[in-house]
Amino acid sequence: MESLICITGASGGLGKAFAVECASRGWDLFLTDISKDLLSNLAGSLSSTYGVDVIYHTCDLTDCSSRRELFRYMEDKSMKFKGLINIAGLDYEGAFVERTDEQIRKVTRLNIEGNLEMTYGILKLRDRGQPFRIINVASLAAFYPMPLKAMYSASKRFLLNFSIALREELRPIGATVTSLCPAGMPTTAECIRAIDSQGFMGRITTKNVGFVAANTIDHALKGDAVYIPGIINKIIKFVGSLVPPIAVAHIVGIRWNMAHKKRKVLDL
Amino acid sequence: MNIKENISGKTIVITGSTSGIGFATALLLAKHGANIIGIGRSDSKCRRAEDSIRSSCKDPHVAYIIADLSSLKQVKELAKNIRQRLGNEKNGKIDVLINAAGTFTSWYVNTVDGFEMQFAVNYLAPFLLTNELMPLLKRAPAGRVITVSSGSHYRTAINWKDIMLRKHYNCLMAYKQSKLADVLFTMELNRRMGQMSTVRAFAADPGLVNTDIGFKGTSGIARWIWKIRRRSGTNPSVAAESIAFLSCEPSIQHSENIYWKDCKPLKPSRYSQRADAAQRLWEISKRMCARYMLDPASGYTNMSEE
Repeated sequence: MESLICITGASGGLGKAFAVECASRGWDLFLTDISKDLLSNLAGSLSSTYGVDVIYHTCDLTDCSSRRELFRYMEDKSMKFKGLINIAGLDYEGAFVERTDEQIRKVTRLNIEGNLEMTYGILKLRDRGQPFRIINVASLAAFYPMPLKAMYSASKRFLLNFSIALREELRPIGATVTSLCPAGMPTTAECIRAIDSQGFMGRITTKNVGFVAANTIDHALKGDAVYIPGIINKIIKFVGSLVPPIAVAHIVGIRWNMAHKKRKVLDL
Repeated sequence: MNIKENISGKTIVITGSTSGIGFATALLLAKHGANIIGIGRSDSKCRRAEDSIRSSCKDPHVAYIIADLSSLKQVKELAKNIRQRLGNEKNGKIDVLINAAGTFTSWYVNTVDGFEMQFAVNYLAPFLLTNELMPLLKRAPAGRVITVSSGSHYRTAINWKDIMLRKHYNCLMAYKQSKLADVLFTMELNRRMGQMSTVRAFAADPGLVNTDIGFKGTSGIARWIWKIRRRSGTNPSVAAESIAFLSCEPSIQHSENIYWKDCKPLKPSRYSQRADAAQRLWEISKRMCARYMLDPASGYTNMSEE
């Protein structure tokens, strides 16, 4: 068996884009997500269209026994990996005090715990005969505290910090870690509505998932630490870094509150 | 041309028939006595369309089936469903297949199969559906496959390096390409069937039509542009007349003219007439649909050029 690229969250909008991009480059894949039907359909389609091997196995990354079972499955099949793309992540947007305690637990379990365990586990199964590439999907939200996305932006900041540090640790073994920090992406009808509600700013910061996936992989192959798609987003990040975080949080809070009000109006 | 004489009693399958050009065509053909099998994504829209047609016709023969054409699995299920319905009838056949379903999406969206949405709905679904229904089309004395294309296929080429336009998606280019693919498909289908076949394929250019296509998968600027542009479009019933002509005019059964607008032949783009491009696209599409084309009884697999 050829070494595989593992993609978590493979049946989501961004996950599919990465899966398609990797398959189009002739790479064999291992896909995981919660839904078996979606995975099986995608795997069959990619295999047929691009002539690559695509293995899939469902896993609930918020659940440790499910994660253990996933690794057992991989070990039983003697799988070896040449890359890992951690996409699985979620957000429950809105005021923190309005969340349920299950939602609060899930954000850290998936965005942080799930990511760490996958990275740890797949590194153990890496193909030592070639460079190993990790892509962690963080977010532009990693750079500043975001009211109404407080847990999400904090979890992405965790990922970004961790990835940059891990990149240094893994240098001697020829492995690289690239953090993708996009703005909003039009992945679902809900996301598209969210982008529309942000008006002009939403439109100019949004990049298509195909563009993001292709460019991220190119950056990962070069071993870059961070990739921010889109020149506008790069500028935003730069300007944001000149302003104290507390001030940024305040400005972002105003903007997001406006966007939420607009979305409520659109939904009525 | 007397539509009524030529259309009455014919079985016609129409995709995208809950609104726009597809609905107008279904209504027109039902009024003239055709048996209509309509297809739409939404249960409520299908019911509304069916009710509307029933209340407008003296003796309506219409049934709607729900299918989301962005999923190849659903396209296959739809075909199986239609084959079962018509297979149970004594002389079950399809006289006309009208691929009228079309979409326009502002953003690059992947379908469940990992294909770009416009490519999947506007082109790949007709490709697979036509294949799966070909055995029934062959049973008709004068079978027709009509695919709604567009004048936007001119001045376009297929981007072979990135056929889904993943990396540099441009919604208009994606639309133009999908409509070009429809013409290439129509040309190649006719080449493979042969000019004297009982099944003939045509591409219909409806011109600019006032429909909701620009509002359904779009945001912001695209919506605003369509809102203005569509005002100078014709009513869908005009396009329906043209498609009705292509469905039943006997004299064109072996016509060399493949591309039609307003009931008159029109020269399609030079690129769309290229046999090498059409063949290349066909082979790619077969690979994409391979899982669903395994049935030896399905249409394309028993053509001589295979």
